Amino acid sequence: MIRLENIQKRYQDFEIKSINLEVKKGEYFIILGPSGSGKTLLLEMIAGLVKSDSGNIKGIEHTRFGLIYQDYMLFPHLNVAQNIGYGLSIQRKSKNEINTAVENTSKELGIYHLLHRSVNNLSGGEKQRVAIARAMILKPEVYLFDEPTAALDLSTRIQIQRLFMQLHKELHPTIIHVTHDFDEALALGDKIGLLLNGDLIQLDTPEEVFRNPATKAAAEFLGYKNVFSGRIRNNRIKIDGIEITTLVSQSDLAYIAIQSNDIILSKKKILSSARNSFFGKVIKVIQRGSYVEVVLDAGILLYVDITYHSCQEMGVEPGSRLWVTFKTSAVKVFEH
Amino acid sequence: MKVKVLFSVLGTLLILFIVVPIFRMVIAVDPATLAKTAVEREVIGSVLLTLRASLWATLTAFFLGIPLAYVLARSHFFGKKIIEGLIDIPVIIPHTAAGIALLMVWGRHSLFTRWTGISLVGTEAAISLAMFFVSVPFLINSAKEAFKFIDVRFEKTAISLGASPWKAFTSVSLPMAKKAIISGGILMWARGISEFGAVVVLAYHPMTASVLIFERFQNFGLKYAVPVTVLLIIISLVVFTILRILEDRQ
Repeated sequence: MIRLENIQKRYQDFEIKSINLEVKKGEYFIILGPSGSGKTLLLEMIAGLVKSDSGNIKGIEHTRFGLIYQDYMLFPHLNVAQNIGYGLSIQRKSKNEINTAVENTSKELGIYHLLHRSVNNLSGGEKQRVAIARAMILKPEVYLFDEPTAALDLSTRIQIQRLFMQLHKELHPTIIHVTHDFDEALALGDKIGLLLNGDLIQLDTPEEVFRNPATKAAAEFLGYKNVFSGRIRNNRIKIDGIEITTLVSQSDLAYIAIQSNDIILSKKKILSSARNSFFGKVIKVIQRGSYVEVVLDAGILLYVDITYHSCQEMGVEPGSRLWVTFKTSAVKVFEH
Repeated sequence: MKVKVLFSVLGTLLILFIVVPIFRMVIAVDPATLAKTAVEREVIGSVLLTLRASLWATLTAFFLGIPLAYVLARSHFFGKKIIEGLIDIPVIIPHTAAGIALLMVWGRHSLFTRWTGISLVGTEAAISLAMFFVSVPFLINSAKEAFKFIDVRFEKTAISLGASPWKAFTSVSLPMAKKAIISGGILMWARGISEFGAVVVLAYHPMTASVLIFERFQNFGLKYAVPVTVLLIIISLVVFTILRILEDRQ
């Protein structure tokens, strides 16, 4: 188990604030956060490459770990085989031993045909496979990934994510993976530590983090588009003339967030148990690949995600007048 | 297209500015005199001495300057800018002044000589010392810029793969900076070869090529100074062209 106890670090104007967390042996742990949140700094402290100002990191001191960066950090003066075998050459293994291990590892990762190539002429996906092979050949107990797929195109990213899944499933290493991509976190992680502005604000399963973000900032980072603030009285928050029913009864300053796919669009008012129902006019209809984002003015601007099929069937277009409905439980309330 | 033409014209002007005086000097010497000069013992001796003394200076600088360049590139500490400024001083001050400064530390009446009984003045070591002083900034600055350019995460990756910081330096940073370091070394060697001011103060004898040129010009006039100059130019041109070709191949 890797344990971080009150880890603090000040770096110029930035501060990592007293981080406490535990990563279990064999766990796929994601540190999720936007750029500049301190993810990489935290990872480098876990790796022992940067010293914390205070606190302790236990459980990784004498552990062999493989560190993989977003931009691969392949040594440009060495070819693919030399890069992969670098760690073994440091251990002064024999040439034969290194060659055999390099061949086996490169075959596992489908890069055997690249062994004698210069690392400077590889594609992003190939480079990342070489970087993984270079770490994997040492059979580390812990992998530390720093945004390993951020520089890759979508299809390569999915391939590399599958590779990570396979690696974790077959070898069961502990993985600490830093990313800003929530989809990646959801696809890979057993657990997520949400890091915002140097502060670990939530530590939970990916599903729970997404369903119940701990703060307004977390909700915004996780892609909640409908975030509002106001005062709650008698389970109702008043925002620009409309009143939304909440589960919280009283609060002088509260933020609410509603997931855009928790809102139902309909042509007629739905008689249901959902307490929030408003009539509005469609302002914009935006194609977002697999779904359609509808922006609707119902006194406040609401973002609603629907399928392309629903959009076609209902004939949603700018100017359409529609009802929006959502349950009280869909309204997340944050007091900070 | 117009920009290309303009730049070509400006570039040609600059090249002419450098080439014309050299060419003018080369054509002023008839081949027979040049051949005679090339076999003159004193001339050969002084050219070889110049190349050798500057080479010693450069090799010493590799040993002392690269670690310093690395520290300056990688560390942030109080007074770093002052150290960087100090390293540039030899480039800024007149080289005769540099010679005098060196004379005060290494000269006959210096503490060094009084304590050790060794006098460097008038030796090949003094020539190397003078050349080192005035030309070492070229190597340090090239190496420093090269190390700065190398992402520190390369070293962190090497360490994560089991390398010690020393091994990370020798197996990753140094090979990655090699080209710039060699380039800086060539520049330093070249600058050492051309040095006159500091050398003449510290060691008039044995005579380096630049001192020999100066002496022949003083005692016998232009006619006797030019063949030695042309010979030095030709040798330097050949040596440095070969070095640049080797450097590019790397």
